Amino acid sequence: MLKMNPERKQEFLNLMARRGWDMLLFYGDTWRKDHFRCLVSVCFTGPQAIALLTKEGEVRAVVTHPWDVEPVKAGTGGPVTYVPRLVEGLKHLLRDARNAVVAINGLEQMEARFARAVNESSGAAPISATADVEEIRRVKTQEEIEWIRKAALLADRGYEHFVSVAREGMTEYELVAEVEGYVKEHGAEDNFMLVASGGIEVTAMKPPTARKLRTGDSVITELTPQINGYYAQICRTLIIGPPSEKQLESYAIFAEAQQAAQDLLRPGVDISDVARVQNDVFRKHGYGEYTGSQYTRVRGHNLGLYPDELPHVLESTHYTCKKDMVIICHPNTYLPLSGYMVFGDTLLVTETGCVSLSRTEKRLFQA
Amino acid sequence: MKRGLVSWEKNELPPHELAARLDAVHAIARKERVDVVVVYSDVWRSNDARYLSNYMPYWNRAFVVVPQEDKPILLCALSPRVYPWIKTVTVHETITASPSPPATLFKLCSERGWKRVGVCDLDGLPTDLHAELTSGNVDLVDIPRSEFRPAPTAVEMRMHARAARMAREVLEQELATVREQTDHELTGRLERVLRRAGAEDVVILVSDGVGPPIPAEGRPVGPHSSVVVANEYNGHWAKVTRNLAGVTSSLISPNGVTQLREILSGPYSWENTADTAAAAVISLQLQITANDRQLYYGDTCLQSQEGLRVL
Repeated sequence: MLKMNPERKQEFLNLMARRGWDMLLFYGDTWRKDHFRCLVSVCFTGPQAIALLTKEGEVRAVVTHPWDVEPVKAGTGGPVTYVPRLVEGLKHLLRDARNAVVAINGLEQMEARFARAVNESSGAAPISATADVEEIRRVKTQEEIEWIRKAALLADRGYEHFVSVAREGMTEYELVAEVEGYVKEHGAEDNFMLVASGGIEVTAMKPPTARKLRTGDSVITELTPQINGYYAQICRTLIIGPPSEKQLESYAIFAEAQQAAQDLLRPGVDISDVARVQNDVFRKHGYGEYTGSQYTRVRGHNLGLYPDELPHVLESTHYTCKKDMVIICHPNTYLPLSGYMVFGDTLLVTETGCVSLSRTEKRLFQA
Repeated sequence: MKRGLVSWEKNELPPHELAARLDAVHAIARKERVDVVVVYSDVWRSNDARYLSNYMPYWNRAFVVVPQEDKPILLCALSPRVYPWIKTVTVHETITASPSPPATLFKLCSERGWKRVGVCDLDGLPTDLHAELTSGNVDLVDIPRSEFRPAPTAVEMRMHARAARMAREVLEQELATVREQTDHELTGRLERVLRRAGAEDVVILVSDGVGPPIPAEGRPVGPHSSVVVANEYNGHWAKVTRNLAGVTSSLISPNGVTQLREILSGPYSWENTADTAAAAVISLQLQITANDRQLYYGDTCLQSQEGLRVL
């Protein structure tokens, strides 16, 4: 299993050389483990973990839970120190850092007291490496793509299970429990999942409630299992009972919009245009106003070690797509026809276009 | 990631309990002579806001802003499309869309003439928010978490006890029927049962009897395995550990075993137990060596001047 990706490590060393950084810290906390895991692919269980990469290529780590020492040591092959308080760990880690140029991946998320400890050790404010590291992470290695393929396959199976268990009278949270249990049973390390059910009153997805599913409901979900750190996502809509004409009409618009994104996505394309072609479908059908922030968030986003990586697929965001990026395109939004509806596939950018890693049928599902 | 049931059961968490907590924050504001107290919240560090208003950001960041003599305001980075739902599970009547909570806070300060702002655990803010806040034109006063969240109330203890009871019952029941399973399969079964029972979040770790408890990796569950279940029920965590060998130890006076104490302000504490007031809800985990194997056993306890009591 991938624990330390040598290709990535070399890219980070090259980045350090280009920027003139002596030390690069990878700071992860329970929410944003990805900032740590892009160097050391270990799912730490304590509140925080930090890995230090020196310009000579040495890796040292500090963890804040004693149970993390062994797995992180196995992952890095270097020294790992346990400290209950990260400030002390940072001082230990940076004991020879006086006058060194220290950059931090995940600086923005780091508690201010930790950044101050780095400052005190090195004698200068740390530099944020987050944007540079994210740019490197955006283009996946072949090994990373294989993990995302596995996650996409599990998303398909998870959605199949979702369809098989959803029924009238079941609460939203029971449905989520079934799917969560299923994907964990089949190897998911984590799963980001939002859901909603109902009719035209539904304006967004959220955590599940105790609402019971009823005939005629749209049941919408984005299911995002994580395998060995890497997420893939699928968005589909299911109707309890036979779909209404308006629900079918709505679905057709979403399917057309998603296909437009899939047809366009290739290296060299501006991500803004990937959003635009989706929104244009809604405009063509007279629903242009429902492509704005009042009704929707994004038309997709990058995927990887975090389920909502940048760039977001928005008309206001400009980014030139590259081969081996993995992006979900989902024109999810509210429409007065059917309420909030979701539809999207995980797409891998290839040399000449893109391929969907999602195998779930593109249709409006029915339970 | 939070994705289980988030609710406000008013028979378990009565509105007057939240009102009393807000009153206590108002008193802190008066004592510290600040116009307003700000509490930060995000996906991981959600329970300070939860304590005050029952708000839980399943995603993104937020500030709960408590004016000295007024109701709390939520500055929320989530979309206004989810505010109707937020209002059903929190005390918040006023929610302001805030892609940048500090920027919205400064706007409020300017509109309402607030000059001194108390911030719960100021140095614990994420660096970007801390930089934005400290660059503003207001005086910031640090409010230590221990002042903001003193010893647990009876309501809190009951909620933690319920979370512990759920974890204990489900774990013991599932371990009693384990037959040639992998840790993935066992984790899936536990998640399903706990989430169906209303768990908001669940974290499960498994030890093979050689290494420490870690997330499932597809290894077989065997006679020397131990399973740790961290279970969150409506914002209140519990952690319970059992082993298949059935080895136990006294939690109250453990001898000759390695102990690990964590404050249950999250699934894993970022504080040291010494940081707290005398009383705290903690997880106590014991590492027991038996026949050259490492077994784990633990539970959720109330730590107080009278000693430990399993909840």
